Amino acid sequence: MKRLWALVFALASGFVLFGSGLDFDYVIPKRLARLAAMCIGGVCVAWSSIIFQTLTGNRILTPAIMGYEAVYLLFQALLVLLLGTASLMLLGSQGNFVLSVLLMLGYSWALQRWLLREGNSNVYFLLLLGLVLSLVIGTVTQFVQLKISPGEFSILQGFSQASFNRVQPQQLLFSGLLVAALCLGFARTLPTLDVLALGRDQAMSLGVDYPRVVRLQLALVAALVAISTGLLGPTAFMGVLVANTTYALARTFRHRVTLPMGSTIAIAIFIAAQLLVEHVFNYKTTVSILVNLLCGTYFLALMLRTRGTR
Amino acid sequence: MITVHNLHKTYGTQTVLAGVNASFAAGRLTSLIGPNGAGKTTLLMMIARLMAPSGGDIRLDGRQVGDIPLRDYAKRVATLRQAPDFNLRLTVEELVAFGRFPYSRGALTGEDHRVIDDALSFLALQPLRRAYLDELSGGQRQMAFLAMTIAQQTDCLLLDEPLNNLDIKHAVHIMRALRRLCDEQGRTVILVVHDINFAAHYSDHILAMKGGAVHCAGSVAEVVNETRLGELYDLDFEITHGARGRLCNYFNPA
Repeated sequence: MKRLWALVFALASGFVLFGSGLDFDYVIPKRLARLAAMCIGGVCVAWSSIIFQTLTGNRILTPAIMGYEAVYLLFQALLVLLLGTASLMLLGSQGNFVLSVLLMLGYSWALQRWLLREGNSNVYFLLLLGLVLSLVIGTVTQFVQLKISPGEFSILQGFSQASFNRVQPQQLLFSGLLVAALCLGFARTLPTLDVLALGRDQAMSLGVDYPRVVRLQLALVAALVAISTGLLGPTAFMGVLVANTTYALARTFRHRVTLPMGSTIAIAIFIAAQLLVEHVFNYKTTVSILVNLLCGTYFLALMLRTRGTR
Repeated sequence: MITVHNLHKTYGTQTVLAGVNASFAAGRLTSLIGPNGAGKTTLLMMIARLMAPSGGDIRLDGRQVGDIPLRDYAKRVATLRQAPDFNLRLTVEELVAFGRFPYSRGALTGEDHRVIDDALSFLALQPLRRAYLDELSGGQRQMAFLAMTIAQQTDCLLLDEPLNNLDIKHAVHIMRALRRLCDEQGRTVILVVHDINFAAHYSDHILAMKGGAVHCAGSVAEVVNETRLGELYDLDFEITHGARGRLCNYFNPA
């Protein structure tokens, strides 16, 4: 854990100072803002993926399967289609951020409310519905994209990939406070999450009110995904990598250990990817592509390795 | 004392339990027996509050179980289902420590450690306490899960087919441990068991179920006889009385 912190610290100082010419008026404040976005995004990605995997008892899922990101992309596509580039002016990035977050929260609220209304706590049904909805929404988004002019489409593409370059200081402050409040508020429930890993029946016979806990934790996951997607754009694959690396390094199931460690790993990946984008690839590629390349490779390796041991 | 009154469970048009009445004496070991699909596990899961009844009520010492908060219920009734498969790497000790969750919510106290030690000693699991669950045999795993349930320090233990997939030696160990829980610690044990001879040797009471209703109930001597078991299973039973207790032979028809 200490080594991880040292790594993140080294990466972070490298990121802030490398080639900055110690320009404290423009370059460094801009980089600090991006660093803050990475920290917030890292915490969101790690917490939401690890908690989601605990709730579903599955190590290859991320909350993306629930369709939160699909809703975000559809919203962006519709904005560009209906208002064109004027939407950028009309809403500003602030308005877009707030609306996106609210929309994703509303979607998850409706989904849970509708599915879990009769004390039904079948998580798999929720997953299935989330998956189908995200496919449907994704197809609608593609349809909308066909109607958009090429110039406007390139703007839309900017939204559909994770990026740290468009965050605004106010958004950072707002989402930072929100994420901190959520994490502190839910810190108390971490031992309960440990018990959930034993499965529904065993958790209930240990006195855990399973349906209520699942509802609350899913709401937390939705909020974190909404914030990180609104702030950075979709991160899709990355949660799987972060969560599984964390399990391998932490060698414990306790969320008190895995969540902070996962956050650190996620932040390290973000900084490394951004460093490469800025200094090696000179903005010719995006963080999303690098992260997906890394995560995809890791995922394949993970599958090959687990197949080898059987 | 757990009493069940007119308990019903239906799924759509299918009736699983049809008006079950039963009472389970405190400090005794009661076995639920009967053919597959008789509703034994359903009854047990409803007492455990893992499943909601469609009608009727279940009372613990006269109080409706639905009125007792789940956290408090976990200090009075512990349930062990067939050892679940999960992808956690846990040591025996860590698993047993989960039994203390209803009391300390994850922050173990000195008292908790003492209870965990006691539970491990009770089942002679001390040598295995740092072993990982996925490295254990099925029997040792089941023992570890039982230790967790014991560490929950409840008056009542519910076990769903605890002997499933165990060799005869581990099955005997588990049944002896359950018997000692009753005799030495005064706990109430209710279990679903398929091996009629284990039920006959270790139970105080037997509740026989068939087709979602109670077929017969009573002491071992009352239930374990050729006519009653014959009706229950539609099999031909021969029951012999030896120096070491009664033995049911149903393997070949006469």
